[in-house]
Amino acid sequence: MFKEELAGICSENVFSGFFKSHAKSLRNYLYYKFGNEKQAEDIAQEAFIKLWQNCANVSVEKAKSYIYTIANNASLNVIAHQKVVLNYAKNAPNKDSTSESPEFLLEEDEFKTKLLTAIQNLNETQRVAFLMHRIDGKKYVEIADELNISVKAVEKRIHLALIKLRKEFDHFR
Amino acid sequence: MGENYQLSKWLSGEMTGAELKAFQAEPDFVIYEKIKIHSLKLEVSAFNEQSILLNIVSTPKKNIKTISIAQSWIFKIAATLIIALGLFFIYRNLETSTFYANNGTQNTFFLPDNSQVILNSGSEIRYKKWNWNDNRTLNLNGEAYFKVAKGKTFEVNTSLGQVTVLGTHFNVKQRGKRFEVTCYEGRVKINYYNTERIINKGERVAFEDERSIETPEILEQSPEWLNREMVFNKADLESIISEFERHFDISIELKGIDNGQLFTGSIPGKNISAALEILSLSYHLQPVKVNKNKIILNVIDAQK
Repeated sequence: MFKEELAGICSENVFSGFFKSHAKSLRNYLYYKFGNEKQAEDIAQEAFIKLWQNCANVSVEKAKSYIYTIANNASLNVIAHQKVVLNYAKNAPNKDSTSESPEFLLEEDEFKTKLLTAIQNLNETQRVAFLMHRIDGKKYVEIADELNISVKAVEKRIHLALIKLRKEFDHFR
Repeated sequence: MGENYQLSKWLSGEMTGAELKAFQAEPDFVIYEKIKIHSLKLEVSAFNEQSILLNIVSTPKKNIKTISIAQSWIFKIAATLIIALGLFFIYRNLETSTFYANNGTQNTFFLPDNSQVILNSGSEIRYKKWNWNDNRTLNLNGEAYFKVAKGKTFEVNTSLGQVTVLGTHFNVKQRGKRFEVTCYEGRVKINYYNTERIINKGERVAFEDERSIETPEILEQSPEWLNREMVFNKADLESIISEFERHFDISIELKGIDNGQLFTGSIPGKNISAALEILSLSYHLQPVKVNKNKIILNVIDAQK
């Protein structure tokens, strides 16, 4: 049984399935953390290469925490922190944009720009948790699992992130 | 505690109806709602999963992945070969080495510690190479002269008795029932049945049928047989004939009755006819050469 598990992640089918369900999350996680897209991608790739090379020693159940651990360790020294640059989806449905007044649209644009800056200014842990929820659409349980923290801790980070973001919009009130 | 994280409950839609109503009444709600809506529209640049996956899968797996290698037949063959070689070398070291001197020849060789052994005709030595320096023991069948290098106890076992030394020159002879040990240098300890004897340079002990045989003092520095001379010490005709057979690599048949006389003396072994003549004179024999390898000795009846 042990052997079957080992063979599991070593088999190309299992591995690529695992890669597809976790690669983007890992890369995004690293990106939210450090804001350096190129390095986030490199480190994510590096982590999966290590998993692939050591597939015999990593069981399927451990694989996820394995890549996150490898990525975290690798990023400790290597990554140069940059600002997290995000975009708004252009084709995202904006149901009421057409019916709004130009003033309102202008205000909306200002709000959106401000929000990006506010997210950049969040502290690392809050930003990571918040963006994993908003962009990757992960549940708190999943975030907790990937960050290896409790669900309560995730809720706290999200909560604090929201408060911090709201403060940037004091004048909007 | 849950109170503290109301906002996260709201963001994930976990707020109860009442809570939500209260929250919506707050002036900040509009801003929170905007943050919620706009942050959902955020995205990060695309990520080319497929090409990265190909990159990863094309990197070679490390050797740590022993399982698949162990399953490959090349590994199995290599492992088999290595084990076979290992066993072969172990066997080479553990197996008994054997040296022979065929009839009519002598054989000189060295043991692993450079002790020299000269085997007389028709003799054989067996020993184990493994751990030789700590266990210098060998088995002798026949006669041999040893020049033992200094070291640990050196032991010669024969079917008749045992010789133990530390580092000397000595000769061991085990022929038929006769067991003879001559010491040419140092000291030699002999075990023969229940007796234990220690002899010094120039001394010899001889036993036959569990009895000790008196021997004269040895003046030579090395055994006479090294010079192809045959020396007998109260030997019967049968053992002399055996010695002739080994020494000259011939077969001798005695026709008639052996008078039981014992012979002491040396017979030069370089020339077979001279040696046979000496023997014939001593024992009143008539040698008849049947062919190159076979001689018949007829006992001349003294009464006639």
